[in-house]
Amino acid sequence: MMPDFDQDGKGQTKQWQPDLTAPAVLLEGVSKSYGRIFALSNITMALNGGVTGVLGMNGAGKSTMFKLLMGKLKPSQGKIRLFGTDPWKNPAPYARVGFVPEHEKMYDWMTAHQFVSTFARLNGLTRAEAGIEADRVLNFVGLADVAHKKLGQYSKGMRQRAKIAHALVNDPDLIILDEPLQGCDPLARTTIMNVIRELGRMGRTVLVSSHILQEIERITEQIIILHNGRLLALGNLHAIREKLDQIPHRITIETDDAKALAKDVIDMDEVQGISFPDQKNLTIQTHNLGAIHAQLPKVIVDHAHKVHSIDNPDDDLASILGYLTNGGGV
Amino acid sequence: MQTKPNTIYRALDRKAAALTEFTMRQYRTKVSTWVVLGVGLVAISLVMLIYIDVMATGFESVDNDGDSFDYDNDGYPNGQELKLGTDPYMADSNPGLLDPPVEPEPASNYIDEDGFDITLEGTSNLQSTGFDDDGDCYNYDGTSSRKDANNNNIECDVLLVQNRYTGEWEVVYDLNVDEDPDDAAYAAEATHMAFVLGIGKMGFVLLLGLFLPLFLATGLIRDEMSAGTMHFMLAKPIARTEVFLYRILGYLGIVWPYFIVLGVIFATISGFMGPSEGLFRFQDLGVWLAIVFATMMASFVYGMLFCTMGVMWRYGIVLAIPFAAWELGMCLVSMGAPDAAILRFSVIGWALMIVDSAAVMVWPNMDMFLLQGTTFGDGSTFGDDFSIIESSADALDFFYSKPGTGSSGLASSVIATVVLLIQGAFLWFIGGAIFKGKEIE
Repeated sequence: MMPDFDQDGKGQTKQWQPDLTAPAVLLEGVSKSYGRIFALSNITMALNGGVTGVLGMNGAGKSTMFKLLMGKLKPSQGKIRLFGTDPWKNPAPYARVGFVPEHEKMYDWMTAHQFVSTFARLNGLTRAEAGIEADRVLNFVGLADVAHKKLGQYSKGMRQRAKIAHALVNDPDLIILDEPLQGCDPLARTTIMNVIRELGRMGRTVLVSSHILQEIERITEQIIILHNGRLLALGNLHAIREKLDQIPHRITIETDDAKALAKDVIDMDEVQGISFPDQKNLTIQTHNLGAIHAQLPKVIVDHAHKVHSIDNPDDDLASILGYLTNGGGV
Repeated sequence: MQTKPNTIYRALDRKAAALTEFTMRQYRTKVSTWVVLGVGLVAISLVMLIYIDVMATGFESVDNDGDSFDYDNDGYPNGQELKLGTDPYMADSNPGLLDPPVEPEPASNYIDEDGFDITLEGTSNLQSTGFDDDGDCYNYDGTSSRKDANNNNIECDVLLVQNRYTGEWEVVYDLNVDEDPDDAAYAAEATHMAFVLGIGKMGFVLLLGLFLPLFLATGLIRDEMSAGTMHFMLAKPIARTEVFLYRILGYLGIVWPYFIVLGVIFATISGFMGPSEGLFRFQDLGVWLAIVFATMMASFVYGMLFCTMGVMWRYGIVLAIPFAAWELGMCLVSMGAPDAAILRFSVIGWALMIVDSAAVMVWPNMDMFLLQGTTFGDGSTFGDDFSIIESSADALDFFYSKPGTGSSGLASSVIATVVLLIQGAFLWFIGGAIFKGKEIE
């Protein structure tokens, strides 16, 4: 068999035959330890289809889990399968997987088109096919106009989109994105979120990690929460939120006269308690954040209170993690 | 466009081509690549400049036996008087007094007038050869034992004696036989061959073949792992052993053309500068071919080795430097003792064997040529101990070695090539296995 120097034959990306009954992602009792430190501890889950957000603080084990899935790390315990195949032993499933690593370093001397098409050829595509596919995915992520510009001249958001394009070039069934929104400007965030939502609509299995709850909320309702290497929650974000609503939430209001405002809100049914961190701040405790937020503007306007800010300190990931782990705010 | 069958091999080709091309482009964009290649070029070009200067200046022939002098001031050089049987030390005995009288010859006729006539014929280990071109042995007016100083009952010859244990030849001269050879021609020939072998072994195989991989191949995988960009490659359906191999192919795609281009340039320059009856010295091309090939093979094995060391440890170059020192030592051992068993445990020993094999095939009369130079007892300038013949022969003798396997040139080069290929394949296996088991953060 002579080498295919012409590279004009028809390419192939999916010669490996997956187990059709197996889920896209399967982890059974997976742990990863470094000496006595567990980066990931006894994770069990199966994912197939739709967008799943992986939430966790820095060091929670998100990247470790993705690297295990991508065969970069070997599990200390447990079983990992991508489409029924062990990725540590066999790289074949990557024909159906796209991976966006969190590392910022890229090949700055390449254009986005060269970057995407070169790595597309590692899927077995011909040179010509890789070029066509690169055009397609760069257009999909909105980089068609600047496809022939060097990556070194790209902004952070454009670089992230180029990485996503590189991951989509083999038309994967499973896409894993490690912190794709980190460091992006608002426009890039919106574009990337749209791309991820679109992939979910196309029926792909998408795993996307972040440590910012609001980002994940805008993309998907299906979430996994990791904390200190443990799987804290897996399911629908609203269900988790409802569960959280059984625990008092806090609303902090900065105003000129905290005690006067307290008199006006104390009669609201949903208010369960009030405290004063200082003279200008008022903290309301409630099980029903939505009801309070609905009534609060009217009370403020009717009584002409001068309010500088309204904040929900419990509505971030740290607080949710705090509730899930300790039953109280962090 | 004809569609080719879609097989797993075609897909492998595509991956190999993609990763090899990518690696080559990556090298071309790095300043460090050009610095390393540039330093290598400058280093061996300096040696080339010295060679050009020496060959352009040329060598001066000297009167080794002093017979161009006219001791008795009768107008006839000693050599002419000795040839015609007059006394060179008495003015009233000279060829002008002969009947008919003989005119004096220029003194230059008696410089380089008695060259080497040593040839080896047959398989006998005791051979008589040599010829007294200027007649100063035949006409010597003295005892016949001085005309047959080597005691083989043949006057005015050179006796070649082969040591039955070592197989080495020894030369025993009769008085005034082959005692005034062409110093300039011998020195030019010996210096040229010493340069070709010296620059080939030390410059190409050692300096370029060893140090280029040290700086270029050690980071092939390691740098990608530490930068995090390895994730892009390994997120594709490609085995890590393949990535290892195709990265090496990309590295070879840079260094091999570099060796070939340098080899062509050096072969061309030395072909024009070297002593030759024509304009260009074609006979050395076989040796140059072997030098470039040996450098390519060495860089292949070292590339695999240093890349493996880089995968093993982030500071793999620390492991590679002691090994490079070992190889430098083995290179020197190979010059002096090419059949030393310890060389079998090196890479450079085998690579240099390819050069030695080619030299044996291209220059088959090297033994006798070296024998003439290294054993030429009367080769010094008359009244001076320095001999450009001996010094150039010593230089050639240092760089020239017979292939250590004891086999023919062709067989040795084949054996050495196969061994180097096996070494490379083995290191790929080891490097690939280490890389396969490596966790990438």
